[in-house]
Amino acid sequence: MSLATMIAQMGDGMLKSVSIFLWTLVLSLPLGLIISFGRMSKNRVLRGIVTFYISVMRGTPLMLQLLVVYFGPYYLFNANIGAYRYGAIIFGFVFNYAAYFAEIFRSGIQSMPKGQYEAADVLGYSRKQAFIKIILPQVMKRILPPVTNETITLVKDTSLAYALAYAEMFSIAKQIAAAQTTFTPLIVAALFYYIFNYLVAWVMAFIEKKLNYYN
Amino acid sequence: MKKKIFAIALSLMMVLALCTACGNSGTAGSVSGSADSSAAAPTDGGKNPASMKTFTVGFDAEYPPFGYKDDNGDYTGFDLELAQAVCEKEGWELKKNPIDWDSKDMELNSGSIDCIWNGFTINGREDDYTWSVPYCDNSQVVVVPKDSGIKKLSDLKGKIVGVQTASAAYDVLTNKDQQKKLGDSFAELQQFGDYNTAFTELQAGSLDALAIDIGVANYQLKQRGDGFVKLDEALNSEQYGVGFKKGNTKLRDVINKDLKELKEDGTVDQLAQKYDIADMICL
Repeated sequence: MSLATMIAQMGDGMLKSVSIFLWTLVLSLPLGLIISFGRMSKNRVLRGIVTFYISVMRGTPLMLQLLVVYFGPYYLFNANIGAYRYGAIIFGFVFNYAAYFAEIFRSGIQSMPKGQYEAADVLGYSRKQAFIKIILPQVMKRILPPVTNETITLVKDTSLAYALAYAEMFSIAKQIAAAQTTFTPLIVAALFYYIFNYLVAWVMAFIEKKLNYYN
Repeated sequence: MKKKIFAIALSLMMVLALCTACGNSGTAGSVSGSADSSAAAPTDGGKNPASMKTFTVGFDAEYPPFGYKDDNGDYTGFDLELAQAVCEKEGWELKKNPIDWDSKDMELNSGSIDCIWNGFTINGREDDYTWSVPYCDNSQVVVVPKDSGIKKLSDLKGKIVGVQTASAAYDVLTNKDQQKKLGDSFAELQQFGDYNTAFTELQAGSLDALAIDIGVANYQLKQRGDGFVKLDEALNSEQYGVGFKKGNTKLRDVINKDLKELKEDGTVDQLAQKYDIADMICL
């Protein structure tokens, strides 16, 4: 099999990997922000629940979480899960990554000096206005490097979808490798991940530079 | 402060215990559930084959020549083409669903696949699935590098031998009624995920031998040239069948009837020729 056909066959899987990546990123970032509010809430019950959720999400392997999310409905409610494979993957990824992003948002928000809130108060800003207009823009700038880290990890984690037999790029690479008895597809896979992550890092660096308007 | 931490730790442990309890009762429930359905097979034996439109086959896409990705990128193999022939007979649309072999029971029980049809060994799993008629004779054989000096099974003593996770070869080497004695004489019985890595490990010397299905061994030896040899002595002989969820006899009966017809009209033999396993067919 020529390299071109190999890459063509893996192309379909690449699209699937990219779609997992994009959906997870788009959904888990806002969700992470909301969860971080819960984590910092004054309500002890809410804070406790969110803290527990984060510790479970961070404390168990993502692959195991995917299996639980996919097969759980069947084992608990005897539900038919035939058409639910892709949904389960997105669910699993979003809820896992939202937990990490929540902690990143929290670190950013809590790193802002209290004096800024007080100054905003003196200037007549409401608490909400102060947060949205003054605090959040600065938080975004501060948390970009750790968010880049997570995003890059996410690109590589998309390969975990193979646990649910979803034909993303890495599963296809392994299948071709098995049928052709060669390791070439895995090298192609490595290149794909590297180039993808190079682009991610480049985009994030670009955004960082754009946001760096005071220096 | 210390008291508080202790209290939190304790409550966490309680929550965890609760979770595991639920988990246990969940599996227990599903086990008894499937037992019930096998008892009440006529009413609760899965979907009614007559009203089925699609037939979803679960297979390991890294298992040539029974199921794999061909040069055009389509899933093919002896078992999949046979399943296709059955679907044409019944007017079903064949859905080829590659699965992770470790999760095959979960996939089957949850109904995301209708059957496991992929060089699936019956022996030792008789009571775990509802089986079709055996259609293929198989044996577990041992493959070694050509210059290893291993000539017969007893030479494997103190060696590192690889088997695929959850495979029939693993069962044979750990079952006391079969080859457990031999298995225990190995330095290590190493489980791997797919054959490609296993053969590379064999080549690189981190494995001394591989215990695998003869059909797979022949395919690999043909593809990889003459660096490897198959030992003449086989570990056992066994048979392949199509595995259905326990109790799903209705669907099983339809497949059995079709397999018989396909054997009679020559389709089975034609396919077996194509995939070079003609001497293994036992329908």
